[in-house]
Amino acid sequence: MRDITHDEAVGGRRSSWRGEWLRMETLIGYAFVLPLMLWLAGTILYPLIVSVDLSLQNVKIIGSVGSYVGIENYRRAFESPDFREALKNSGIWVLANALVQTILAFAAATILKQRFRGNRIARVWIILSWVVPTVVVVIIWRWLLSASGGVVNYLLVNTGIVDKPVGFFSTGNMAFLSVILINSWRWFPFNAVILLAGLQRIPEELYEAAAVDGATAFAKFRFITLPSLQPVLFVMGLIGTLLSFNVFDVIWLLTGGGPSGATTTLPVLIYETAFKRYRLSQAAAMSVITGVILLLFAAAFIRFLSPEADTEEA
Amino acid sequence: MASRFRHNLLLGLSIFVLMVLVLAPFYWIFSSSIKLPQEIISATPTFVPHSFTTEHYDKLLGESSFPTYMRNSIVVAVGTMAITVVLSTLAAYGLYRLRFPGRITLFRVILITYAFPGVLLLVPMYQMMSKLKLVDSLTALVIVNVTLSAPFAVWMLQAFFRTIPRELEEAAALDGASRLGIIVRIMLPLAAPGVASIAIFAFITSWTEYIFSSILIISEANRTLPVGLAGIIGQYQIDWGLLLAGATATTLPVLILFSLVGRNFVEGLTAGAVK
Repeated sequence: MRDITHDEAVGGRRSSWRGEWLRMETLIGYAFVLPLMLWLAGTILYPLIVSVDLSLQNVKIIGSVGSYVGIENYRRAFESPDFREALKNSGIWVLANALVQTILAFAAATILKQRFRGNRIARVWIILSWVVPTVVVVIIWRWLLSASGGVVNYLLVNTGIVDKPVGFFSTGNMAFLSVILINSWRWFPFNAVILLAGLQRIPEELYEAAAVDGATAFAKFRFITLPSLQPVLFVMGLIGTLLSFNVFDVIWLLTGGGPSGATTTLPVLIYETAFKRYRLSQAAAMSVITGVILLLFAAAFIRFLSPEADTEEA
Repeated sequence: MASRFRHNLLLGLSIFVLMVLVLAPFYWIFSSSIKLPQEIISATPTFVPHSFTTEHYDKLLGESSFPTYMRNSIVVAVGTMAITVVLSTLAAYGLYRLRFPGRITLFRVILITYAFPGVLLLVPMYQMMSKLKLVDSLTALVIVNVTLSAPFAVWMLQAFFRTIPRELEEAAALDGASRLGIIVRIMLPLAAPGVASIAIFAFITSWTEYIFSSILIISEANRTLPVGLAGIIGQYQIDWGLLLAGATATTLPVLILFSLVGRNFVEGLTAGAVK
């Protein structure tokens, strides 16, 4: 009989220890995740149930008792031109923001990827507009775009681009364009930082090989950069859609949804219906409809981002 | 040689344009906030202030309710930060370091709450807070802000926990360290940059939140900075000097915090999206 090797001894001890360890893991795992789950259940799940319940009643002011009216609020929402207009505006808002932000973010990420003195600082501080309160962003741009004394109008008039100051918030289309650009200004650095991380993961050899083959800059972008960034762009698109859909404060504080409803997106309409016109149940019904539409995006989002796709976790 | 020069020129120019686009607006509010009122509203804007005054800041701190707003914002942000850090760190440790049945499902649930549009909660949240008699209280804001920041904080922590080798924990366990001992002595120090990042994230989320604060807070005494400043914008005659000083002073705390953990913060931010 030979002596037990060191390895076998350690291995034996290890397996019994592992069984105990795994049983404990399950218990501890639940115990650790539970507090957050309870918190979210109380602040999201419960309010959602309240919302659906509220949407089937005719409650106006908070605290007053309503009676059940079935799907009346839903019918009314779909028949209301305001709701349809807001739905359309939300669609335009999300698409336009995605377009402008992606273009700007691509440009910024390409610049930040270069080597230059101070680029590490630039990569961090570029997202300043994202960490600052919206209300500050709003103050900045109202100040810059003001029709009298605003620096943007001053520059536009003095360089002869326009002959008289532009009223950035005075007509419907102009106001909508202004809020879209201001919101994009705020968010594009966030996207740029994410795109930059994606760009840095593309192996430099791919570009070098392409250069040897005499590929043009456009061909490199089309056949190397874009395909490699596809997953990142997809995630950005999904998160961007949900987050920019949700944006309310920029619009509300800049235009209040006007002029005459031109910048009223669904969140603005819901806020207005509930807290300016005091029709809680009506607003709840709009929220539920909006939620169902967004659920489709959210479903795609979690499907794509779950850790299952990760081989290390298998 | 010529092409290299052209490349550098183009690069320098594009960096300049990008920096102007991102930073110039901030410079503009700061530099205007120290100008005399007549220079602020003058028809010819001055890029470098010709006058210097602290009168807007004196007014902001002495006569306006700004200090009250600031205090409320700090209370809410610190409360949000503390609760978010505890809840998210626990959950993230459970989700990313432990193996147990159902963890993928739980991860998905947390992710969906992050993607969940907060505006849908506006009406029911008000209803709920009014039932709990929490309308017009800072507690209500802390509750909402934790919900808004915790799911993303969990997601950000993933990037930090992932880099810590599993063998480290196993080795410590073999040496007889308790589970709690492992977490406190090994995991937390290694995940410290991540925890600091989510703390700042929670603070910033709370600092910038406007919608819920605007409906859940009624009295002037309980207003937070964003709602307070928005109130000044809403006045018939805008006092630009005061407002610009307010905007600058509101930006300052975020600048300070962000300069402490900026790099880790940005890394955590991107790691979730780019695997």
